[in-house]
This record gives sequence, structure tokens and C-alpha cells, in this order.
Amino acid sequence: MGLDKWLEAHRMDELGRLDTPLHRIDARMKTLTALVFVVVVMSFPRGAVSALMPLFLYPLALMRLGAIPPRVLLRKMLFAAPFAVAVGLFNPVFDRQPVLVLGPVAVSGGWLSFASILIRFVLTVGAALLLVACTGMHRLCAGLERLGVPRVLVVQLLFLYRYLFLIADEGGRMLRGMELRSAGQRRLRFRVYGSLVGHLLLRSLARAERIYKAMLARGFDGEMRAMAPMRLRWADAAFAGAWVLFFVAVRNWNLAACLGRLLTKGLS
Amino acid sequence: MNPAIIEVEQLRYAYPDGTDALRGLSFRIAPGESVALVGANGAGKSTLLLHLSGTLTAVGGEVRIGGTAVTPATVAAARARVGVVFQDPDDQLFMPTVGEDVAFGPLNMGLPPEEVERRVAEALGRVGVAHLRGRPPYRLSAGEKRAVAIATVLAMSPEVLVMDEPSSNLDPRGRRRLIDWLRSFEHTKVIATHDLELVVEVCSRVIVLDGGRLVAEGAVDALLNDEELMVSHGLERPHILRHRHPH
Amino acid sequence: MHMADALVSPAVGGTLWAASCVVMAHCVRKLKATFRDELVPLMGVLGAFVFTAQMINFTIPGTGSSGHLGGGLILTVLLGPHAAFLTIASVLTVQALFFADGGLLALGCNIFNLGFYPAFIAYPFIYRVIGKGGYVSVRAWVAAVVAAVAGLQLGAFSVVLETQASGLTDLPFGTFTLLMLPIHLAIGVVEGVATAAVVAFVARARPEVMPAAPVRSGPVNARPVLVALLVAAVAVGGVASWFASSHPDGLEWAIARVTGKEEVEGGASGLSARLAALQERTAVLPDYGFKAAEGAAEESAETWPAVDTGTSVAGVAGGAMTLLVVCLIGFALKPRRQMGV
Repeated sequence: MGLDKWLEAHRMDELGRLDTPLHRIDARMKTLTALVFVVVVMSFPRGAVSALMPLFLYPLALMRLGAIPPRVLLRKMLFAAPFAVAVGLFNPVFDRQPVLVLGPVAVSGGWLSFASILIRFVLTVGAALLLVACTGMHRLCAGLERLGVPRVLVVQLLFLYRYLFLIADEGGRMLRGMELRSAGQRRLRFRVYGSLVGHLLLRSLARAERIYKAMLARGFDGEMRAMAPMRLRWADAAFAGAWVLFFVAVRNWNLAACLGRLLTKGLS
Repeated sequence: MNPAIIEVEQLRYAYPDGTDALRGLSFRIAPGESVALVGANGAGKSTLLLHLSGTLTAVGGEVRIGGTAVTPATVAAARARVGVVFQDPDDQLFMPTVGEDVAFGPLNMGLPPEEVERRVAEALGRVGVAHLRGRPPYRLSAGEKRAVAIATVLAMSPEVLVMDEPSSNLDPRGRRRLIDWLRSFEHTKVIATHDLELVVEVCSRVIVLDGGRLVAEGAVDALLNDEELMVSHGLERPHILRHRHPH
Repeated sequence: MHMADALVSPAVGGTLWAASCVVMAHCVRKLKATFRDELVPLMGVLGAFVFTAQMINFTIPGTGSSGHLGGGLILTVLLGPHAAFLTIASVLTVQALFFADGGLLALGCNIFNLGFYPAFIAYPFIYRVIGKGGYVSVRAWVAAVVAAVAGLQLGAFSVVLETQASGLTDLPFGTFTLLMLPIHLAIGVVEGVATAAVVAFVARARPEVMPAAPVRSGPVNARPVLVALLVAAVAVGGVASWFASSHPDGLEWAIARVTGKEEVEGGASGLSARLAALQERTAVLPDYGFKAAEGAAEESAETWPAVDTGTSVAGVAGGAMTLLVVCLIGFALKPRRQMGV
């Protein structure tokens, strides 16, 4: 079983429950900022490489302010990379038109657009991971509801999250039990698969029924009621506003090119 | 004579697949009593508890809470009067944080936010877990989960506390704390348990179930000391009664 | 086969998000109308189950590889299309946020690709029709495999279309399709077999748990879905032939390079010929589909001022310098941490 994946999930959960000033920023503002960030990154034309550079400030700043160790993010990015990298790798194959000459090396448009895809991958994946690492699932879901996501969906996310670790633990225990009786064979044979996963499903269904009874016993009538409202502070709005302005500025003016021109002018 | 708070009359129940679970049980519980439900596995203890809280509907016979029969029409009121602590706390702690779990019941009762807040604080304090309020349930130890599960029920201010195997999975200290709380609660208590030592410490009356039938009921000392009775119904005489030491 | 943010344009991502939201809103309304509040814990727990099941691999006899359950089909069998769609959406959301599987923008695409086809097409029109309500017979296994394959093929093809429409890749439509579809055919067979195995076990062990009648939260109206499918098929045919005819060389070359199989090479030229023939028949449509995508791309380029992408030495130097500056600023920020709950 992907046990490492589960340890990662535990880690992400832990990070989400830290208490830095960044974690305390309103979840709605952080969600909107992340969304704008992703849209801005993807709105750049193909082949944009240096123009995207200033945008690295966003994930880096979040990592530092949220006390998120880079290793956690990098490991997840590596796992998720294959599809984007595989598709992106075809670009240099099909687009061999040289567009840039760096000394003796001619760089084709294909390589440039591939690099662009990689950079976008890192930026967008970073934004998604950092959103939950700097907010925590609970605060994030509360924020999503305030943003208009229907209660049914938010409740579903919270229930899913709540029982994720429990059921994964049960599954892990069943697998270990099976491994111990399989004379060293680590992988599951298909013959056994149906019954192992089937058992897990039966247990999950039984648990869902018990939870429902417990909910009924405490007066559940179909509606999930919330307790404390969320308050928006000036700091929260300022956070979102400042970042969005920065993203728009980066999109409109190629800061990297400006800096580059200054450098080359200074050197010539 | 004290009016009984729980009256069970000829209660019958069968599982969806047809097997009989309860075969005509009758008993009464007075307000303030601490009653233990004992019996071997499969005797019907958990099923009976679910009837007392209105979670299951009887196939035959009647359950009356505070004089009112439990029917689909009255079940909501019955649930407000009877608080159930289930066997597995993970089934009962389904909200993102402890605080929200304890607030779930009062919110469903339609209480105003200030009252909900007051009850949450009080219930958490009662079982000594106020510091866990913001904690998610999967980050609690077995003893903490048990305490929070009890708090979720206390917050609804029920008249009757029904508990299914409350001392299971608890370490000695957790178990001792549980016993202390149970002795301090003034609610009417119905406790289904294998922990016969707990029964001796907490309860005054015991009901013995076997195969869905009520086979004995009476004072704790008298019944639990009856070794023949205990063994014939899949139980045994608790150690604490064999060697009574003055504490 | 999750779409990644890095390959999807805001226009395509936004469109698929809109489509997913429409379907989700429909599902929410349908669930509210049926008042099945036992679904609240059930959907959550089954979502957690699917998450866990996805990580339990079994060895596929004969090959060295392993397979696992995706979960879309089995969720629909247990919950019905509307509840299943929402559950799938929740699983994908958690995957995107915690495991970087897919992204925030591509989430809309993934919810549609991996949720809509199994729940609203494969289950009602294939699984139920072939399986006829049984869960342990041979026909139940066939139903599961065909339904899973169909659902995944539709999903995989959608990924191809979305990637092409986003325009960030040079991969020709034909090559991409020829890579994605066979792979997902195999994945679909594995998914169907895994689903059938679990369903059969549960149906034998506790038959009362499996839905006896078709789980419906409302009548599934076939007409609009079939019309939509027809339109989609025709539009796809037009777009497909347009792409295939522009890059026949790339197709053969890429296939030869990637798969190294002779029979596929032969098939490739056959495919080009067939697609060209298709283009002739659907000559009315080919530009329609692509024009919409092209127009959208132009519009999105025009709403933003033109940006110098830095294809010059100054640009490259500036890019490197900027990255350095940004890193310095980033690392200068002091993390202030207190341990929370």
C-alpha cells in the first residue's frame, strides 16, 4: 500500500494546523489569491520563461511565512510530475525552430515551451499544495462555504477528510494481516484482492450506518448547522489585494526583461 | 412511588434478516438509578440500548420514556431525553473538531449560540477536556475520545445516560477516571458492559440478558455473587466480590 | 490521467469548471429533493474508502505490473449517479490539494472527465443495461469491464481535447490520442475487473447491502444525453480529422519512435487515411470546433497587453537575475512559527 503517501498526508494535515500569522489569514482571501495566481500563470503565452520568474515570489513567500519545509512540497511535485513532463517533452520533439541563440547553442521554441510547462507546473502545483498547508482543511472548508460552495459539498469534504485516516488505517491493518500470512509475498494476488477490498467496503458501510445512528441520536434532521461566523480583517483583504496587484503587474510588464535590459546596458 | 423514567414492556425485535434479537423483554427503571445490562456477546445488550434511545423501532411491545411511548412521532423528543454513548467513539465524533462535535447536539436542538457555547464549555469541563476543544478527533487518544464522546452527550442535558461498553479500550487511569465520572453523574444510567468490576462500583441494579431474554434482575451484590447464575449465562463472578477488601 | 494545471489554459479550464459546476449544482438539487439524509455520512465514508482502495494494488497476472481501483464506477453502483458525482468530486479535490494530483484550475476538467462519464454515461447506459441488475454473474463482470472501459476512454479522450484546445503542447492530436486511448483501454479493463471483483464479493457476503433496484434519485432522462453525445461525436470527428490531416508525418514518426511496433506503424497510415475520409464526410464542421478554440485563444491574448516573452539574451539574463532576487527576498522572510493545535 502507498504507506509513504499516507505519512505525507498526515504531514500535510499537521502543517495545516500550525498557527502562524499566515495560517490565521482568512481562508477565503487565500483561496482567491491562489486561484488568481494559477489563472495568471496559465494566461501567459507559450514559451514564456523569464517573464514567469517573478511569480516564484508567491510560493517562496508562503513557504517561509507558513513555516512549510520545502522537502515536503518537492517530494509531492516529483510524484505528480510524470504526466505534465511526458506531454511537455513532445514539444522539443515537434518544434525545432530555433528562437534563441546563446553563444554556440541554439535553443528551439520547443525547448522553451517545455521549460515553460515545467515552470508552470512547479508554480501551480506549489500554489495548490501551499493553499492547504498554510490554511488547514477545516478552515479552508469553512472559507469555501463562505465563498458560496453548497453546504452539501463542504460537509462531504469534511466527512471525507475526517474518515480518511481512519479507513486508511483499517485498510493498512488488513493488508499487513494478509502479508503476515502470505509467506513473504508482498503483493496482493488478484484472487485475494476482491475479498480484502470487499471486506474493507463492508466495514466502511457498517461504519457509515453506525455514524448515521449516532447522528440521529444527537438530533440530526438532515441539516448541518454551523457555529461561529468568519470575520474578515483589514490584514486579510490587504494580503489578497497586494498579491493580486503583484500578479497583474507581473503579467503586464515583463520585469525580468526590464532587469535584463538594465544589466546588459550597464555592462555594455 | 417514583414514576419510572424508562418502562419496557414485552419488547420484541428482529434483525432485517429475520433472526430474533429481543424476545419479549419487560422491566422498569426509576429516575436516578444506575442499572447495568450484562450478558454474553450476542445476548442483545447493544440492541436493547438502541431501543432505549429511539434509534431502533420495536417490532412488538413498547418502550416508554418518561411515560410517553416511543413512536416515529415522539422519537425526536425521546432522543433529547436519552443520551447514548456508543461503543466506538469514532462513530460518534464525526465533526472536524472536538468543539464542533460537542456543539452538534445543542445546535440540532435549536438553542441560541450563547446557550450552545455555555453548554459546550460546561460539558468539556465536566470531563476535563476543555483544552482539546480545537483538536480534530483523529488526533485524540482512546481515553480522550471516550471523554469527548461523553461530553457530546452531556451537552444535550439528557435525563438518562445510556452507555455501551464505556470502559473498553481504556488504560487503567482512563478507566478509573471514567468510573469516577459515572459515580458523580446524577443522571439515570443504563450501562451495557462486560466490565463486571465497574458494575460493582457504579451500579445498584443489574439486568442479565441471555439469548434476547431477560433471565434475571436485581441488586448488584445479590446477582453477581450468585456464581451459578453468572456462569450459566456466560458470565462469571467478578473478582472484586470474591475478595472483598475494605477500601 | 489527471489533467495538470500546467497544460490547461484559463479558457479551457474555466469552461470545464463551468460545466462541472452546472452538473454539481444539478446533483445538489436532486439530492436535496430526495431527503436521503443517511447519505451524509455514507458519501463521506465511501469517499474515504475509495481513497484507500486506490492505494491497494494487486498484481496483474502475466505482466509485471499492478493495478488498482479508480472508484468512479463502484461509487455509482453504490450511491447512484448524483451522490456518486459529488463524492468523486470531493475525492478529486482532496487529491488536488494534498497530493498535487491535478491542480486548482484543472480540477474542473478532472471532475468532469472522471466523474461525469462513469456516473452519467457508463453506469446508466452500459453497466445497468448489460448487467441487468445482477452483481455476481458473468454478465456483471462483462458489464463492469465494458462500462469502465467506456468511461475511461471518454475521459481520456476529453483530456486530449482539453490539452489540444489549451494550445500549450506541440503534441499532435493524432499522436496524443493514439498514446492515451490504448493505455486507458488497459486501465479500463483493470478498473472493470477490480470493480466487478469487489462488487461480487460484497453481493455474495451481504446481498442486502447492494442496491436491488437501479439507485435513482430521479428519472434519468436519456434524450438530452443522447443528443449531447451525438453533437459531441460529430464535433469531435471534425476536430479530429482537422488535426490528423495536418500532421500525418508527425503521427507516424512519433508512433514509430515511441512504441517501436511495426503493426502500429501500419495502422497509423491506415488511421490517417480513415481520418482523412472522415474529414471529407464532415466537411461542414471541421472549422467550427477549432475556430471557437482559436477565437478564444486570440481573445485571451488580446484582453492582456502583449508581453515580451524575453526571447533574447537580455530576456534570459533578466530572467535569471529576477529568479535570484526573488529567492533572496523569499529567504529573507522570517518564518514565525508557534505550534498550533
